[in-house]
Amino acid sequence: MAVCIAVIAKEVTVPTQNKLKFHYTVHTSLDVVEEKVSTVGKSLGDQRELYLGLLYPTEDYKVYGYVTNSKVKFVIVVDSSNTSLRDNEIRSMFRKLHNSFTDVMCNPFHNPGDPIQSKAFDGIVSGMMVQTG
Amino acid sequence: MSVPDYMQSAEDHQTVLVVVQPVGIVPEDQFFKIYKRIATVSQVSIRDSQRLLYIRYRHHYLPENNEWGDFQTHRKVVGLIAITTCGSAKEWSQTAERFHGQKEVYSSTLYDSRLLVFGLQGEIAEQQRTDVAFYPSFEDCSDVEKRVEDFVESIFIVLESKRLDRATDKSGDKIPLLCVPFEKKDFVGLDTDSRHYKKRCQGRMRKHVGDLCLQAGMLQDALVHYHMSVELLRGVNDFLWLGAALEGLCSASVIFHYPGGTAGKAPGRKLSMSQAADAGKRHRPGAQEVLIDPGALTANGISADTSTEIGRAKNCLSPEDIIEKYKEAISYYGKYKNAGVIELEACVKAVRVLAIQKRAREASDFLQNAVYINLGQLSEEEKIQRYSILSELYELIGFHRKSAFFKRVAAMQCVAPTIPEPGWRACYKLLLETLPGYSLSLDPKDFSKGTHRGWAAVQMRLLHELVYASRRMGNPGLSVRHLSFLLQTMLDFLSDQEKKEVTQSLENYTSKCPGGMEVITLPDGLKLPPVPFTKLPIVRSVKLLNLPVSLRPHKVKELLGHNMSTASPFIYSPIIMHNRGEERCKKIDFQWVQGDVCEVQLMVYNPMPYELRVENMGLLTSGVEFESLPAALSLPAESGLYPVTLVGAPRTAGNITVNGYHTSVFGVTSDCLLEGLPAVKTTGCLVEVIPSLPRLQLSTSLPRYKTLNSHLTVSVQLFNGETQQLTITLENIGSEDIETLELTSKIVSTKEKVFGNFLSWELDEPLSHLPLKPGQAVTLTVNIKVKLDFSGQESLLQDLNDDGISVTGLPISSPLRQVLKPRPENKPVSSEPGKAEYSHIKTLEAVLNFKYSGGAGKVEGYYRELSLGVHVDVEPSVFFTRVSTLPATSTRQCYLLLDIFNPTEHELTVCAKNNQDLVLHASECQRMAIQVDKFDFESLPQPDQETARFTNPKQLQEERQHAQGCQINSKLGICWSIISFQSLASFVV
Repeated sequence: MAVCIAVIAKEVTVPTQNKLKFHYTVHTSLDVVEEKVSTVGKSLGDQRELYLGLLYPTEDYKVYGYVTNSKVKFVIVVDSSNTSLRDNEIRSMFRKLHNSFTDVMCNPFHNPGDPIQSKAFDGIVSGMMVQTG
Repeated sequence: MSVPDYMQSAEDHQTVLVVVQPVGIVPEDQFFKIYKRIATVSQVSIRDSQRLLYIRYRHHYLPENNEWGDFQTHRKVVGLIAITTCGSAKEWSQTAERFHGQKEVYSSTLYDSRLLVFGLQGEIAEQQRTDVAFYPSFEDCSDVEKRVEDFVESIFIVLESKRLDRATDKSGDKIPLLCVPFEKKDFVGLDTDSRHYKKRCQGRMRKHVGDLCLQAGMLQDALVHYHMSVELLRGVNDFLWLGAALEGLCSASVIFHYPGGTAGKAPGRKLSMSQAADAGKRHRPGAQEVLIDPGALTANGISADTSTEIGRAKNCLSPEDIIEKYKEAISYYGKYKNAGVIELEACVKAVRVLAIQKRAREASDFLQNAVYINLGQLSEEEKIQRYSILSELYELIGFHRKSAFFKRVAAMQCVAPTIPEPGWRACYKLLLETLPGYSLSLDPKDFSKGTHRGWAAVQMRLLHELVYASRRMGNPGLSVRHLSFLLQTMLDFLSDQEKKEVTQSLENYTSKCPGGMEVITLPDGLKLPPVPFTKLPIVRSVKLLNLPVSLRPHKVKELLGHNMSTASPFIYSPIIMHNRGEERCKKIDFQWVQGDVCEVQLMVYNPMPYELRVENMGLLTSGVEFESLPAALSLPAESGLYPVTLVGAPRTAGNITVNGYHTSVFGVTSDCLLEGLPAVKTTGCLVEVIPSLPRLQLSTSLPRYKTLNSHLTVSVQLFNGETQQLTITLENIGSEDIETLELTSKIVSTKEKVFGNFLSWELDEPLSHLPLKPGQAVTLTVNIKVKLDFSGQESLLQDLNDDGISVTGLPISSPLRQVLKPRPENKPVSSEPGKAEYSHIKTLEAVLNFKYSGGAGKVEGYYRELSLGVHVDVEPSVFFTRVSTLPATSTRQCYLLLDIFNPTEHELTVCAKNNQDLVLHASECQRMAIQVDKFDFESLPQPDQETARFTNPKQLQEERQHAQGCQINSKLGICWSIISFQSLASFVV
């Protein structure tokens, strides 16, 4: 029931469902991400929890956020009717996503800043979309 | 109560509400002028009590909302100021009537009212009335503010009395139950004597007193009352009023903590800054140093005993608690559907407080909650207002994206299909305000360098909406500008299909309103900078081209030397100034000529998936007057780099700088300046334009010869020894007179040895025609004479052998020398093995250089050079295969026997001095005997001292040989002619 997964690096977005609606949802969620990162950064120094938790709930969706140390943001939007997804599951989804993203970045042929074109990454992402939804 | 007041803030709880309304016919502008003056009296210091009274003015207030006045007293209209015009005494009664009617509307809550009458003079105006003030005109009313202050004081007196009245209610008295409009029916038939009911009444009254205290400027009292009210109401689960009591507590605490206010508005408060500062020092005069512990109070009234001193801060909530209590209050309000407006307003107030506390995330929770509060059926206008205010609040807490999102929703709401008259103008305005939230500016310069900023997908959407809205507004110019911007900045993000669509609609729009380079200024002052299409097509490099060789100007040498002196004293310096910025300004080391067409080459490519038509592409220059000759081009889809040459002619002399180029694509004209295009490679854009020079054109009598060199070349085929005349016509095709003309020639380096003058001419005749006016022509005749050494060609030798002719010695064309002075070591240079030509034909090339000048350019010391190449193919003519001598009849003479061979395909005759002609057929060899005088080479003049320094003996040898050859030649005078050609040629030695 993850309906949208977005990776927001310096300028690249990869929302897997290319719907404008999710663009808006994820875009507005960045306000919260920004706020969370800036406040947490001040108080805890470098030891920062990557998982940001629920960014905000809307009528139909819940938006979760995750920020890597290099400030790459992951946003997962899940259907709010789906109660089976606990915080822990979301957390592990992010971890999986992060690992996979790291693999993509480790690919010497990948040009940071280009759209991600990786079968493995796509597999992981669509796996999350299918498994949950 | 259905209409929320989104502008409310926590400190509004301490204000008293005064409605200012026009009665009868009042011009709107005049009304608002007076209204503004009244509104400046927003806080009044009460004379005796050191307290401040805050007033909130409204010119429009729903009586429906007034009914909630008991619930929160700041919602209650306590004062009415009516403004009216009255022309004559006759109208007075009618006006007074109307005023009373107006008072009726708020009669239940009004403390006092005033009527300001403008325009009435005379008897009635003379009378002194407290509730009516007369002014002769809207201009002549200097004491309005004073009147209002008096009025406020009178309100204060009523307020104070009410407060005291309620606060000192005896415990035995029956306390009336205060309730909100929708509750009234719920309490019908309730047991009014029950303890529960009494407590409810007490609690509600306590809260009411708290409100009054707050309004009357007694902050601490208010806090105490609110605290008690909370206790009481909590006990009886009266949630709506509990919420109100908590909110009151919050408001009072906020007023205490943040005397500057949370709304950031209130111009009245700002006007009296000194006063506010005073108030701060005085520790909130209303507090009256009553420090009461709520627990020490009886439930039935304020005991006058304030002996228990408790820190003021104890009653007051801490900033954290304020938010907690707001949350609680809102959750209580949320239980009642009819209290939606109260809940919404509480949310807004809480957000404002949180914004001051810089707790954006919690504020966003409140806002999130506010979004879901259902106020029933909202009109479209109310929806727009609601979204706008949400957007403003998000902006306030720094959530720019969210703010932009709601602003956009509001904009879309303006033009919702359900609205009969869509407000495209409002929609457009709101959309413009969303731009910063999406990191979008309308200046293409912000997108020209570095990586793309912002979220392209949503930015594109927004731009599309702007385009659509501006089109519906009936401003196609704006649509074109936005669409151009979309195309220019989002090109990388558009799919092929989208590119097609965007350009198609752009062409549609521009067919009605062509896009240009002017700045569009919107009515509200926003400026839309022009959008030059620097990506359609993309220009990779700009290169200024030199003039064609024949038109290049040259500087006369001595003047050049003069120029050099002004430059650096160093001929060479290893220090190269690495100044990238100046590279573009670097002067190019060639010159353009005034009036002559010059060229700039651009490498462009088309990033579009279809053919791109660029029209009216030309150069933008500065420095001198420049006539640009625009070009139109059509670039194929996804073309690679494509050279485009833009031409133009400078009209004056000086330094010209190529600043950029202009194009017209899809009906949008763009001026693309190079300084804004860092990706463009250029070798410099500054060129000197020198004054105009004449132009000369050559035409010749001989056919042209195609050559790799840039200059014109004529070609002619001659037999060795032949002479031909070349007629050159020189025409002045420029606009200046040709004043000087010089001609030089140069033989292109050849290994052949040339005897005699290859090219010769007579220049005096054409020079007499100077100056040559434009359009005039002169002719010049040049003689071409070829004399080459064809001796020692192996292949030729071979041919001779085949013909069965016995050859002794070396077959040389100048065999005389060989025989007369046989020297084994003296072999002709050309006979060396390996050097032999494979063809019999030898070529000879020379260049005729015309230097000419005239007009203004001559004054400046410039001239032009025009070159004419002469290419001659020389075929062998006559060979002497063998030479021998026989003694003649006279001892002073001898016979020279020459075996003459004709290698040509023509019949030719050979004649010598005082001898008969000898006819030779093609490829025939005959012997000829010539009687000559004997002579001695020793009699030849010896080379003089100067030439003697040729140390190379071989050179000396050649010198001598040449002299000897000349002598023989003059003695013999052998010449030949090809009969069929009717041409005569002298013999070559």
